[in-house]
Amino acid sequence: MVRRPPLLPYLLVLPTVVFVALFTAWPTLLAVYQSFFRQRLNIARFREPTFIGWGNYQELFTSPDFQQVLANTAVYVAGTVPVSVVLAFLLAVLVNRRALGIGFQRLAFFYPTILPMVSAATIWMFFLTPDYGLFNQALAFLGYRGPQNWTANPDLALFAVMMVAIWKNAGFFMIFYLAGLQSLPTDVFEAAALDGAGFWHQLWLLTLPMLRRTTLFVTTIAVIGAFQTVDHIFVLTAGGPSNASTVLLYWLWQVRFEYQNVGLAAALTVVLVAILLVFTVTNFVLSERREA
Amino acid sequence: MLTQPVRSRSLGPRLLRLGLDALAWGLALAWLSFIVWALVASLRPAAEPLGRGDVWFGSTLTLENYRRAWALAPFARYYLNTVLLVLSILGVQVITITLAAFAFAHTRFPGQRLVLFFVLLQLMIPTTALLAPNFATIRRLGLFDTILAIGIPYYGSAFGTFLMRQAFLEVPQDLVDAGIVDGCSWWQLLRHVYLPPSIPTLVAFALSSVAFHWNEFLWPLVVTVSDRSRPLTVGLVRFTQLGEIGARWSLLTAATLLVAAPLLVAFLVFQRRFIQSFLYSGLK
Amino acid sequence: MMTHRRTLSSLTVLLLLLGLAVAACTPPPAPQAAPAEGETGPAAEPVEIEVFYPVAVDAPIAQILQGYAEAFMAENPDITVKPVFSGGYGDVKTTIQTTVEGGGEPPALAVMLAVDIYDLINGDLIVPLDDYIEDRAWLDRFVPAFMANSSFEGQVWSIPFQRSVVTLYYNADLLAEAGLEPPDSWQSLGETAQALTLREGDQVVRWGIEWPSGWPYWLFQPLAIGSGRNIVDPGDPLTVYFDHPDVVEAVQYYIDLSGVYGATPPGVQAVWGQAPSDFASGAAAMIVHSSGSLAGILEQADFQVGAMAVPGQEPGTYATVPGGGNLYILKGAPQAERDAAWQFIEFLTRPENVADFSMNTGYIATTDEAAELMGDYFTQTPQAQAIREALQYADAEFSVHNLGEVRNIFHKYLQAAYNGELSPEEAMAKAQEEADAALAPFRE
Repeated sequence: MVRRPPLLPYLLVLPTVVFVALFTAWPTLLAVYQSFFRQRLNIARFREPTFIGWGNYQELFTSPDFQQVLANTAVYVAGTVPVSVVLAFLLAVLVNRRALGIGFQRLAFFYPTILPMVSAATIWMFFLTPDYGLFNQALAFLGYRGPQNWTANPDLALFAVMMVAIWKNAGFFMIFYLAGLQSLPTDVFEAAALDGAGFWHQLWLLTLPMLRRTTLFVTTIAVIGAFQTVDHIFVLTAGGPSNASTVLLYWLWQVRFEYQNVGLAAALTVVLVAILLVFTVTNFVLSERREA
Repeated sequence: MLTQPVRSRSLGPRLLRLGLDALAWGLALAWLSFIVWALVASLRPAAEPLGRGDVWFGSTLTLENYRRAWALAPFARYYLNTVLLVLSILGVQVITITLAAFAFAHTRFPGQRLVLFFVLLQLMIPTTALLAPNFATIRRLGLFDTILAIGIPYYGSAFGTFLMRQAFLEVPQDLVDAGIVDGCSWWQLLRHVYLPPSIPTLVAFALSSVAFHWNEFLWPLVVTVSDRSRPLTVGLVRFTQLGEIGARWSLLTAATLLVAAPLLVAFLVFQRRFIQSFLYSGLK
Repeated sequence: MMTHRRTLSSLTVLLLLLGLAVAACTPPPAPQAAPAEGETGPAAEPVEIEVFYPVAVDAPIAQILQGYAEAFMAENPDITVKPVFSGGYGDVKTTIQTTVEGGGEPPALAVMLAVDIYDLINGDLIVPLDDYIEDRAWLDRFVPAFMANSSFEGQVWSIPFQRSVVTLYYNADLLAEAGLEPPDSWQSLGETAQALTLREGDQVVRWGIEWPSGWPYWLFQPLAIGSGRNIVDPGDPLTVYFDHPDVVEAVQYYIDLSGVYGATPPGVQAVWGQAPSDFASGAAAMIVHSSGSLAGILEQADFQVGAMAVPGQEPGTYATVPGGGNLYILKGAPQAERDAAWQFIEFLTRPENVADFSMNTGYIATTDEAAELMGDYFTQTPQAQAIREALQYADAEFSVHNLGEVRNIFHKYLQAAYNGELSPEEAMAKAQEEADAALAPFRE
């Protein structure tokens, strides 16, 4: 099967390679390059780029805003990813049973995936409304008496946008677990059941370990997704109050398109890409090692 | 496996089963409450504001909010834009990923690992993160404010290539060999041997591609400015920001559902296929 | 694993999609080529101008503008006016910015935020209008508050068009029940709000006042002005007064409305969207909001609605601040188009058209001559007249160089103070410091 005309494979991968080169590789390099220049489009004399070395990075790393945004991003990722993945697993287990209305339940958990994030956020905006928002009413019914202004309270705003993301994504990740669960060999479980292994026992000691690859895959897409989805922040909080819900990509958008600071935005892009690369490469190496 | 553990007759498993049922139903209803409320609120007369304990049905049902939302923004145009967008992306992607996956799965060529790694870069650096430099590229290419501008960064898909490669690798070697013996050209091999068993994967990819691009917001926000290219999501956000006035929930929910409806309806109708294609797509 | 029968139909669907996609994939039309320069020729040549406009209210702006364009073209057969809906305010500005950056030709006329003036001048996007204004007295027709963000370095850059103003709405029935007069000072506003706040146990059933602060500068400005020091001066894009003692006092007053009077929810109130319906449904006795919400409130409320300027610190003083969009002529358009654009501006600012626009959209009439034509409307809707009268207490809206960044700095610290993370003094001192730094590059 190696007897293809040697040119063919290259031609076949060419379109993909061209698009990846143009919209992944090139912009990464361009960002690195631009990050060493000062270019601010809303100041007449800084409109043309000037080389300033590490100036943008210096500005970035001495900015308290940047530190807060980094911290917010860390909380956002570290909060949404594990919770939505665990929830997804739980939901998958629930809807992988044979019971009345399972199809309906799968539908209920999966539909947020189909809903645009901006739509989801718009509906959540109502649910989070103080006093009569349904989320607050449900909480009050359960005895919660704390603050209700989820999108305006500095301690809650980030949490609020995280909830929306978890709600939206859990059903999507559930599908992967569901696929994983259905591909598991039944005989192992039958044997375990015969040995008297209970439900929880099977869940923790058999199912979870056997779905390790699924978990790795889901976690990876969850992390990358967490870095790149900020739509709900536009709708719910606009990054506020006092930057409390501003994460990296949202701030990057602000710096580039609101403040029109091209150089600083390029430096931010480099930081974001570096974080993502460190994560994915580490992840890749770890999983390869474990597979080996 | 997990469908079986409650076969025993003792009380514990039965309680467990009841507990799981209750949990599943409780969560499902909570999840559904969002869309149900949105639907109810969108049918509420605009002149009846929501208030404490009065957030569901109004005195009557009305489609007036939909009419108003439709009049406030050119939704028909947004629909057209979005449909053109997702179909054009999908159309190009199906070709690029199938060809590339075939090359990676069926042939060996010098530099293959390098090329594969290069393509996988796109999985590691999501395109959205590169919106600032990509904006510059789009400007330079003269594509600003076109549907092409929204779609073109996604024309090559590492995710799709990777999925299809996995699917192609699972095609039994006997079949491939038989095809070669029969004198199939590479094109015929791809068409008649590799593709047919890989269709579920392709469909799964197609669905996730359509859903992703139908719902995408930030990149279209950045590279479009006029109605000739704006997709639905960007059009919707205007309603949440109708600067001068307070957003009316009835109007907002109507606009929200207008945007989400086609995919939701498609999902309801093809629900089984949607989920099934994920299940069979090798996304394991 | 999988059945081929099922996949067959999937394949059909897919091929269908593919066919459509290929058809859909033809490149979109290239941006229309700029008409060759120098072809404009003598004035009698027909001219076509585009007018980019945003929609920020729940009114059929598109139809209304199209109507004006047609009436104008009937009078001026050699000019064609094409109104182009361009999204929100931000979109109009971005469209024009990016069109010009890309070497394209902008529309001749656009409706953009009054406060965008410095960004537009810095971006070299607009032209001053002084050459068109034969008699400066022509400008006197406009309400002074609406001209506050139109002048820079002795030149006029924009003409007021769709304008609104911060308004205090009150539930007149509730006030009457409680035997209260509309408030006329900070203290009486606080006390009135306190008296109208209704609690059942530890639950608030009705707030005395809701004062949105999710995007806070605009609704805050009346407090600063009422305290004696606006946060900016008209025509001076380099100075902000965030740490001025009067401004700090205004911040403190907002906090006191909750902390001292218990009459409003504590902290930042992200309720811009729901405040009007909260007011209309009786969940709030008073709200501070845009005059643009009046129509919606009147549609929903089943009680007597009062509207006025925000009371100032001293008894008998009031304050408010305008908002909304002005007409700008774009620099990149050919001379003939710009001249035609000015003719259209003159048409739009005729009293009868200003009055008509105001009555159909809920925006405030920008000239007194127009307001005189609106007698019936004002009789039917006395609140609209009250709002118009409130304009006499208005001062300039927040606008400086580098507005996006400076405004975000102010928001950040104002909200930090509202939420009790910093004292008003600390917060405003920091806001001043960072804003000065953000303005520094413009000082040289």
